[in-house]
Amino acid sequence: MRNKIAQARYERKETRDAYLFLLPLLALVIVFVLFPVLATSLNSLFRDVTYLARKFVGLSNYASLAADFDFQRAARFTCLFTAAAVFFEAVLGLVFALLLNESFRGRGLLRTVVLIPWAIPTIVSAKIWKLIFDYTYGVLNFIVLALGLSSEKINWLGSSISAFWSLVAAEVWKTTPFMVLILLAGLQAIPREVYQQAQIDGARMGRRLWRITLPLVWPVLTIALIFRTIDSLRIFDLVYVLTGGGPGGSTKTLSMLGFEYYSNDSFGRGSAVSVITFLLVFAVTIAYIKLGRFERSLKK
Amino acid sequence: MARPGIPEETCKRILIAAGAALLLVFALSPFFWMLWVSLTSRPDFLFTKTVEYTLANYTNVLTSPTLHFTDYFRNSLIVASVTAVAVTLIASVAGYAVSRMRFPGRVAIPLFVLAMSMFPPISIVGYLYQWFSSLGLVNTHAALIFPYSALTVSLALWINMSYFAQIPVDLDRAALVDGASRMAVLFKIVFPLALPGIFSAFLLVFIACFNEFLFALMLTIDPFAQTLPVGIALFEGLHGEVPWGNLMAASAMATLPLVALTLIFQKYIVQGLMGGAVKG
Repeated sequence: MRNKIAQARYERKETRDAYLFLLPLLALVIVFVLFPVLATSLNSLFRDVTYLARKFVGLSNYASLAADFDFQRAARFTCLFTAAAVFFEAVLGLVFALLLNESFRGRGLLRTVVLIPWAIPTIVSAKIWKLIFDYTYGVLNFIVLALGLSSEKINWLGSSISAFWSLVAAEVWKTTPFMVLILLAGLQAIPREVYQQAQIDGARMGRRLWRITLPLVWPVLTIALIFRTIDSLRIFDLVYVLTGGGPGGSTKTLSMLGFEYYSNDSFGRGSAVSVITFLLVFAVTIAYIKLGRFERSLKK
Repeated sequence: MARPGIPEETCKRILIAAGAALLLVFALSPFFWMLWVSLTSRPDFLFTKTVEYTLANYTNVLTSPTLHFTDYFRNSLIVASVTAVAVTLIASVAGYAVSRMRFPGRVAIPLFVLAMSMFPPISIVGYLYQWFSSLGLVNTHAALIFPYSALTVSLALWINMSYFAQIPVDLDRAALVDGASRMAVLFKIVFPLALPGIFSAFLLVFIACFNEFLFALMLTIDPFAQTLPVGIALFEGLHGEVPWGNLMAASAMATLPLVALTLIFQKYIVQGLMGGAVKG
C-alpha cells in the first residue's frame, strides 16, 4: 500500500519534471511559430491595410486571389519549379550517392567536396549563379561563344523559360548535396550480402540497380523528397536574388508574392497567400506519405 | 550468363571515373569562379583575355565605410551564436525528457514540434513584423534570435533524440537510484556521452541561422542589425552597375568560415543531417 503511494508520487514527480524540461522548447515553438501562424490565418479573413480601418471580410481575400493573374502565375510557377528542381536533385543525388557508395581511391575526398555547395549560403550561391548567367560578364556566355553554340551572347535571365531553368539549375546545385547524404545513408544500410547473392545469380549492374537498390532505398528517398519538396515550395531567397521574380513577374514564387503584399502593407492579402502556401505544403506532404506507404515505417 | 563485350569490371571503372569527374566539376566550379572573380580587377577578364590579380576587392570590402561588411558579419555572428547556444541547451534538456522519462505526450510532443517546423517562414514572418513593430523589437538582434530559435529547435531536438537513444538507460537509472538529481544526471552523465550529437545540432543550427534571409530581410532595417545574407543581397554599386569583384570578395569572406566549419567538422555535420532527417 505504502509502496503504491510512493510509486504514484514518484510518477507524478517524473511527469512534472518532464514537462518542466520541455517547457522552454514548447514555449518557444508555441509563441513564435504556432501563435503567429494562427494569427496569420485569422488575419487572412480581414481587410488589413494601413490606410483603412481593419474590417472582417470573410473569405473575400481568397476569392480575389483566386481570380488574380499574379497569384495564379505564382502558384503555377512555385509548383512547376518545385517539381523540376526536386526531380533533377533526386536523379543527380542518386547518381552521386551510388558513386560515393562504391569503393575507390579518392572517395573520402569526394565525400567532402560534395558538401561544398551545401555549405555556401543560399544568398551567396544566388549571387554566384547570377554572375554565371550574367549577359556581359557571365562564364556561361563565354563557354557558349567559345564552343560556338551560339554566335552571340544569350540573355539567360531575360526570357521566362530560360530564367525558369536558370533557377532550377541554381537550386539543384545548392541542394543536391543534401540528397546525396541522405541517399548515401540509405545505400549504406543495404547489407552487402544482398548484392553478393545477386552477383552470384548473375544479375547485371543495371538489373541490380532497378530490382534491388532502388526498392531498398525507396523509403529513404521518400523522406528526402518530402524534406526537399517542403523546402522548395516555400522558396524565397534564391529567386529573390537571382531573378527578383522577373522577367515581368514570371518567376515570382508564392512566398515572394506574400512578401510583396506585406511590404505594401497589405497584411490581409499577404496572410491569405501565406495560408495557401502552408496548406499546399501540408497537402503535398500528406500525398507523399500516402504514396510512399510510409505509415508502416513510421509505426516501427 | 554474362553478355559478350566489355567486362563489367572495366565498365564500372569507367563509370566511376566519369562520375567522379562530373562530381568535382559540379561541386567546385561555381565556388572557384567566385574566388577567381574576387581576385581580379575586372569581371570581364574572360572576354578581354587580360587578367590582373589583386586583393583590392577584399581590402575595399573590409575598409569601405558604406559597405558595412564588418557590421553585417558581427550581426550574423551574434545572432547565429546566441541562437545556437540557446537552442542547443533547450533541445538537450527537452531531448533528455523525451528519450528518458515517462509522461503523457512523450510521443506526441516531438511530432508536434516537427509539424511546427513545416510551416513556411512566410506564414510566420508577416505577423511577427506587425507584432515586433508594436513592441519596438524590429531592427534588433532579438527580433531574429527568437524566431530563429523557434524554427531550428525541432531539428536540434530530433538530432538529440537519435543520439540519446544510443546511450544505455541503465547508466543514468543507476545514478538516479543512488540519489542523484535529474539535473546532475543530465549534465554529468548524459550530456558528456551525447556530446557529438549535441555538437552536430549546434553546428547545423549555427549554419542555418548564418544563412537565413527572409526573416532578416523583413525584421531588420539597417546595417546595425542586418545580417550578412541581407547585406550581400542588397549589395549594389552606384549607377546600377554591380561591382562584381567586390561582391564576390564579400561572398567569399561570408562563405569561407562556413566552408571551413563544414570541412573540419564534416563528420558531425553529416551525422547531424542524417540523424535529423533519416531517423526523424
